[in-house]
Amino acid sequence: MSAVLSRASGAASAPVETRRERRRRERLEEQDAVIPAELYGLRRGTVSLLTVLAFLFAIFTLIPIAWILINSTKNQANIFESFGFWFSGPFQFFHNFSLLFQNVDGYGTYIQWFGNTALYAVIGGLGATALSAFAGYGFARFRFRGSKLLFALAIAALLVPITALTLPLYLTYAKAHLINSIWGMVLPSMVSPIGVYLMRVYVDISVPRELIDAARVDGGGEARIFFRVALPLMVPGLLTVMLISIVAVWNNYFLPLLIFNINTRYPLTVGLGLWSDRAVNSGDANLYPMLVIGGLVTIIPLIALFLILQRYWRGGLLLGSIAN
Amino acid sequence: MSAAVSAVPAASTRRRGRSAWIHRRDRRGIWFVIPFFVGFGLFMVVPLVYAIYTSLYTTRIIGGTVFTGASNYTQTLQSGQFWSGVIRVVIFGAIQIPVMLAVAFFFACVFDLGVAKFGRTFRTIFFIPFAVPAVVGAVMWSFLLEPQFGPFVHVAGALGFRGVNYFSPSLLLPSIIVIVIWEWTGYNMTILYTALKSVPRDVVEAAILDDTPLWKIILRIKLPMVRPAVVMLIFLNTIGALQLFTEPQILEYFQQGAVSVNYTPAYYAWNTAIAADETNLAAAMAVILAVIIVVVSSVSLIFRRRRGEFS
Repeated sequence: MSAVLSRASGAASAPVETRRERRRRERLEEQDAVIPAELYGLRRGTVSLLTVLAFLFAIFTLIPIAWILINSTKNQANIFESFGFWFSGPFQFFHNFSLLFQNVDGYGTYIQWFGNTALYAVIGGLGATALSAFAGYGFARFRFRGSKLLFALAIAALLVPITALTLPLYLTYAKAHLINSIWGMVLPSMVSPIGVYLMRVYVDISVPRELIDAARVDGGGEARIFFRVALPLMVPGLLTVMLISIVAVWNNYFLPLLIFNINTRYPLTVGLGLWSDRAVNSGDANLYPMLVIGGLVTIIPLIALFLILQRYWRGGLLLGSIAN
Repeated sequence: MSAAVSAVPAASTRRRGRSAWIHRRDRRGIWFVIPFFVGFGLFMVVPLVYAIYTSLYTTRIIGGTVFTGASNYTQTLQSGQFWSGVIRVVIFGAIQIPVMLAVAFFFACVFDLGVAKFGRTFRTIFFIPFAVPAVVGAVMWSFLLEPQFGPFVHVAGALGFRGVNYFSPSLLLPSIIVIVIWEWTGYNMTILYTALKSVPRDVVEAAILDDTPLWKIILRIKLPMVRPAVVMLIFLNTIGALQLFTEPQILEYFQQGAVSVNYTPAYYAWNTAIAADETNLAAAMAVILAVIIVVVSSVSLIFRRRRGEFS
């Protein structure tokens, strides 16, 4: 047992490569894989033309982001009256930002919604990762009675759309008096058929059957083998599933919109939805700047998370795309 | 390690004994999948069964809740409002999906071939909207398109189109199409790009040596090889289009009355459940919507199974 364990942990800590080295290597590998553009016999100027087209689409992509950055510095009047793509009037960024910590006119406090979102996303995401890891490993490395049927069931669940499940979930909560319960939000987020599928695929390619058998011969219990032998080898897959599940909860709108009706429970998405309704339809002077800066503060953590963990996103998308 | 290595051959000499032992260990796997299936049962199976059960009843002001069988289903299926929402999302998908996939495939090819500068940077930028929650995306675009003050109205005015109202009945659907294209093109491009990367290099090199023009390399060699990814994206986006909800719901806040209660099937079901408080009818709508989408995705699964991609 100990021999197997030391090998597994050795494999997990083996790659000693700093982030900069890895980036450099990846860039070089990528350059290496691309056939030099000159070989295609393109007309002169094609590369410039295509670069310009990509640049135009990049502008289209960044327009709303630029707008929200610029307008987070404005007051209500200037958001509407000044030119949308340039700064204007008093620099209000910090004032607007401070509004996120107040419960303006009783519609709810942004910072509380932020905390709720983080709570739901972290508990839901970690739970989804754990359940998916257990189930994925169970399906990949055991053959028990009904395992094929159960796996087919999990795959079938992939076909049922979220929207179609959310309304029934709401109806059930209304009957079971679970409206406004945090668990009503967190527990369903832990059930991730896609996570189970991804972990199964990942265990199949990264945890050798022989290693598990060897650990069994050495006398390890199944739980101990899972945590000490298999889990260290599953880390990249776990991170991918965790990222996907956290983002899914972070962005979830329909479920919390239905099941929460007091604003202290709202996540960011529902809170911002409420603010856009109130801003337009109540004429409250503070709400537009709050909506703008609230939107900005909502997307920054996700864009940062994405830029830092790009590698895992890509891997997850690729795997996810096979499954969906 | 040596202990493990020596143990395995020793075990395989007593083959029958070993396999029985492994078989016994195999049964313990059920404990690993039980936690997931407890959640699966409670939060997927129970609600669906309950929704089907609820949909068979009707609550009346006088007489309370009574069993009415399929009447909620016939009412929904015979309602012009429900079908006009379905038709709208079908039109939405029929325009949005081909346009988005064409743009995504074009840029995926450009970056895959390395025929534009700064490809890495562009790929990162294009992907950013995927990290933006649909609610925030819809809020940002609502501000930009807002008929009275929105900067895009000024832009249209400067180009000679005065008094454009992006939330008017004729422009609302195109506006939503633009928003959704903004949200999802980068994601689709990333998947196509990854698929294109797996096309073997020597195939392309051979084509170049044969003096095959670039457009032929793309359409005759690369596109057929990434067809599974394209098919998968078509189905994925179709299912997404059928569930369209967030964008119209937020736009309605910005321009009251612009979005009808039955604008999309999901939006109609939500309005029926919350605003109209007809939960039994809404349950029937949710079930019908689920059936439509399950049929569409089953077709995709059968389609791809036949090609041996999904086992």
